[in-house]
Amino acid sequence: MTRRATWGVLAVAALVAPALASGQAKDWREIQKPPLAAFTPQQPKRIVLPNGLVIFLQEDHELPLVRGTARIRGGSREEPAAKVGLVGVYGQVWRTGGTKRLTGDQLDDDLEARGARVETGGGLDSTFASWDCLKESFDLVFATWVDLVRNPEFREDKIAVAKNQINTGIARRNDDASQIAGREARRLGYGKDSPYARVAEYASVAAVTRDDLVAWHTASVHPNNLILGVVGDFDSKAMEAALRKALVSWPRGPAAPRLAAAVGEAQPGVYFVPKDDVTQSQIRMVHAGIRRDSPDYFALEVMNEILGGGFSSRLVSSIRSKKGLAYSVGGGVGAAFDHPGLFQLSMGTKSGSTAAAIDALYEEVDNLVRAPATADELARAKDAILNSFVFNFDTKQEVMAERMLYEFYGYPLDFLERYRAGIEKVTTDDVARVARAHVHKDKLALLVVGKAPDFDRPLAGFGPVATLDIAIPEGAPAAQAASGSTPEGRALLAKVAEAMGGRAKLQSVRSVRQKASMRMKTPQGDMSIDAESLLVFPDKQRQQLRTPMGEMTNVVSPEASFVSMPMGTRDMPASQKENALKELRTNPIALAQRADDAAVSVRAAGSEKIGEVEARILELSVEGSDVRWFVDATNGRILRTTSHTMGPAGPAEQTLDYSDWRMVDGVAFAFKRTIKRNGEDAGAIELSEVTINPDVDPKLFEKPR
Amino acid sequence: MHKPLAALAVLAIALAHPAPAQDLAAFEKKVSVKTLANGLTVLVCERPEAPVFSFFTHVDVGGDREVPGITGLAHMFEHMAFKGTDRIGTKDYAKEKAALEAVESAYAAYDVERRRSVGRDDGKVAELEKAWKDRIAEADAHVVQNEFGEIVEREGGVGLNAFTNSDETGYFFSFPANRLELWAYLESERYLKPVMREFYKERDVVHEERRMRTESQPIGRLIEQFLAAAFTAHPYGQPVVGWPSDLTTFSASDAAEFHAKYYVPSNMTVAVVGDVKAALVHPLVETYFGRLPKAPKPPPLRTVEPPQKAEREVVIHDAAQPFYVEGYHRPGFDHPDDAVYDVIQDLMSSGRTSRLYRSLVRDKKIAAAAAGFGGFPGVKYPGLFAFFGVPTPGHTPEEIQAAIRAEIERVKTEDVSDAELETVKTRTRANLIRRLDSNQGLAVQLGTYQARSGDWRELFRDVAEIQAVTKADVRRVANEAFVDQNRTVAMIQSTQMAKAPGSGGTR
Repeated sequence: MTRRATWGVLAVAALVAPALASGQAKDWREIQKPPLAAFTPQQPKRIVLPNGLVIFLQEDHELPLVRGTARIRGGSREEPAAKVGLVGVYGQVWRTGGTKRLTGDQLDDDLEARGARVETGGGLDSTFASWDCLKESFDLVFATWVDLVRNPEFREDKIAVAKNQINTGIARRNDDASQIAGREARRLGYGKDSPYARVAEYASVAAVTRDDLVAWHTASVHPNNLILGVVGDFDSKAMEAALRKALVSWPRGPAAPRLAAAVGEAQPGVYFVPKDDVTQSQIRMVHAGIRRDSPDYFALEVMNEILGGGFSSRLVSSIRSKKGLAYSVGGGVGAAFDHPGLFQLSMGTKSGSTAAAIDALYEEVDNLVRAPATADELARAKDAILNSFVFNFDTKQEVMAERMLYEFYGYPLDFLERYRAGIEKVTTDDVARVARAHVHKDKLALLVVGKAPDFDRPLAGFGPVATLDIAIPEGAPAAQAASGSTPEGRALLAKVAEAMGGRAKLQSVRSVRQKASMRMKTPQGDMSIDAESLLVFPDKQRQQLRTPMGEMTNVVSPEASFVSMPMGTRDMPASQKENALKELRTNPIALAQRADDAAVSVRAAGSEKIGEVEARILELSVEGSDVRWFVDATNGRILRTTSHTMGPAGPAEQTLDYSDWRMVDGVAFAFKRTIKRNGEDAGAIELSEVTINPDVDPKLFEKPR
Repeated sequence: MHKPLAALAVLAIALAHPAPAQDLAAFEKKVSVKTLANGLTVLVCERPEAPVFSFFTHVDVGGDREVPGITGLAHMFEHMAFKGTDRIGTKDYAKEKAALEAVESAYAAYDVERRRSVGRDDGKVAELEKAWKDRIAEADAHVVQNEFGEIVEREGGVGLNAFTNSDETGYFFSFPANRLELWAYLESERYLKPVMREFYKERDVVHEERRMRTESQPIGRLIEQFLAAAFTAHPYGQPVVGWPSDLTTFSASDAAEFHAKYYVPSNMTVAVVGDVKAALVHPLVETYFGRLPKAPKPPPLRTVEPPQKAEREVVIHDAAQPFYVEGYHRPGFDHPDDAVYDVIQDLMSSGRTSRLYRSLVRDKKIAAAAAGFGGFPGVKYPGLFAFFGVPTPGHTPEEIQAAIRAEIERVKTEDVSDAELETVKTRTRANLIRRLDSNQGLAVQLGTYQARSGDWRELFRDVAEIQAVTKADVRRVANEAFVDQNRTVAMIQSTQMAKAPGSGGTR
């Protein structure tokens, strides 16, 4: 190899030198192409830990960066049909929901301040967790990555953000004709309920719960189910040691369930989606394709190159250049690693040439069989593939990514070399044979998205037309929220409401005044505060605080939220107001009042020991606010609540312990409460007086002038 | 031009930070620039990672030089640069040349008659149209379809493509390292002897591109209207793809004329990056690109957008989902405040710590995405700093507007925190390094900076200048630019608005 490389370099010099000397421009046919210098790409180091974790290490010292990616088996094709969208939510919230130690927002702050990234995501057959950082911050960023992989928290507030984004995608999925065509073509090719074609709906996204995300993580993220690749500016020995130290103790888990997701039958016929706000029709033709390990794969690759690969392919030359019918046209037989791809042709053409374009596409399909590749076409296609072969491994990152891919799908690690050899052997007969075997005009589903009144000829000329209904199913809000609840959760909430005074009594509570003495932990030490709070359900609160530093009043309501001090009044920052309104929604009385409300989702989520009591855990979620209650099931008393909140020092996990329950006018109140933030003491509250339904002067909630 | 002294001063500051291995000094050793006698600038960056190289040809003309009647012509010529030369793409150029001249005469006759507003003879129009199409068929008989692209692809070229924007036109692909001379031939020849073959078919292709990107996409339709409203005089208000009337009218002769005027070597920069030796590249480029005839650089554009006097608003009522964008005029890339706008963009838009993400996406949950970006639709001349938001189901453009305005107000009235500013600066430095990891990416960036600023080093100085931006700069610039009368608003009001799932309506 080395000797050949030297020879190659010499050859370059020898052949180029005369051109320099003469300085004469030549015609392209006369220009010499010296053999490409032999090039042996640097292979990554492969390591297998005792727990089954496969690691690839690829040193690349060009830039002071270290990047790593773990690919984990299991993806959206494995999610339940009723929860399509689960892996989408999971892939996002895995990162945004933070770790047990740090919220996602804290991770954002920490990483961004270092110009680093840690990201997660979900795909069809796998999920991933990656990092990308400067070499100097590797230790810290890698530790964050490990924490996220081992201890994710999937906080509810970020589940809401993720669902919001996915729902936005659903709402917008019929805005763009190409997107409609791509989606519906997959459904026609694979069958609409196939895991390779189905799409998330409002209801299936709403059905995804935090438990689902935790369960997904628990089932899939194990060292023996994951391939980790690291590339960048490091010493492999040192990196290996660091990775071993951090990951070797990670216990092996059950193998990921590997499913053979069903691929449905293609549905031949003529399909139409009306779209009136376009000037261009989107056309697709589709039927089943092949797997990459098919013996016909190499010949089909050559056929694809002839049909739709690049500027000189048949589709581009005929439909774009010669006929001027399209800007975008392409196609070929798709080949996936572990399931059949799709044979697909696609193009966009003005409404007035829709039928002419379909004729032209059908003609190309016929031609594949009727006028198979000429020797010249074959040579062109093979040259294009083989002469550009070096671009498959022209970066170290790519070489590693390729190896990871073969490892993941269980392909031979030298598959790329086999590919080259396979392409070299393909003949015109091979291309003709695979075209006949894998392209079937009669099995094609023809799909058109466009404005029918402007078509040059009606689609009916191509066969009976089925109009596809692409209307987006309504979210069915009540049913949705209820589906997030469990009967067990509902029953326990009813029990809590009973213990707090009963549903009827609670409904009659319009407002509550509480006087209390508070102890608050501050950086300067404990502070004593006399407090009086006035709560008007559902969403108003006024607190008067007498502190050693003076009096302070804060008011929260959807209309006005402000803080008054002797120096004057100022509006509460929006984030603080949001947070306060959120806390009001999860006030125990407010939630117990809404025990039957479908918008309140309630789930029983196991149990945990608090003191001597095995407390049952209730997860409640209402309008984007989430709280967990730890309930003594024997008497329905709330022992503890936990929620994510905005503390004085930023986002925090807040724990309130309740005790000393007393009845006031038939309603139960915990007279003693202790507060912890992120597990540390943050203060305590002791009630001295509670009044139910006091007179409330509405002026109290107006901002003073 | 940038202020060289100030730039050097801030550069010194930037270098005081932990020095990345890939800094300006490292690139000084790898990059060489030469200007040929005909005025063409050539940049070579040696990066012997693998036996391949990429290039980028930058032509300093985009939609900016188009006037009514020829909008879309810069982009049209870009397409024609793939149609071959007098030696590539033809069976017999002498015959083809005569046939193409006949096409032009026939088209001119047809075009005059069909656009006659008084006394048009429809019979004659049909006759002339047929004559024109017959001439096209005759010319097409000499064509070897897409031979230019075929040579590139057959020789192992990948990523063969090009783009046109409001400022400039760029051409690029990558080749195995042993095709350097072939590349020099192909890339120079297409500008030296372009042939306007299949022009009218390609005009249809470009019109399909317009239908796909602009007419059949709700946001494409909106952005075209947004720019048309924001600019009253400057060509930034015109669509780069061209207005439909022009796309169905301009001729191959118009394109040839445009080429002759703007594709002159003094208006072009070529950057080559990869496993190449500068000592070999420069003479080859001299031999091949040196053939382009010398001509003066076209004089600068005269028109400057006058100050906006009143807020403008565009509302499209559409069945598509709602969308919101607003833009404020800002100076071009060569203004001293350019780096301040970069900081504002990063602060408002980069990642999950950005202000628009945290407010609109995370906290208010009214947007699926929201960001602000400078230099729209270009940076060569004063353009827009724009903010947009994609409403989540059940939320409206008005809510997006209010939330964006609140964040703009914050930047105007409160100092950005030290931590935030430091994050922006750190991120900018880290991202610069990430931008240096591919031949093609480097060729585009080094070539563009060399062409635009006259010095590729500006790529690094830009980042250095960002390090020098202060809190006061951010507030000052925000107060200057983000004012009502400097604003253009555009939105899609949905006639079929999606309901918020799970709540049955807005909260």
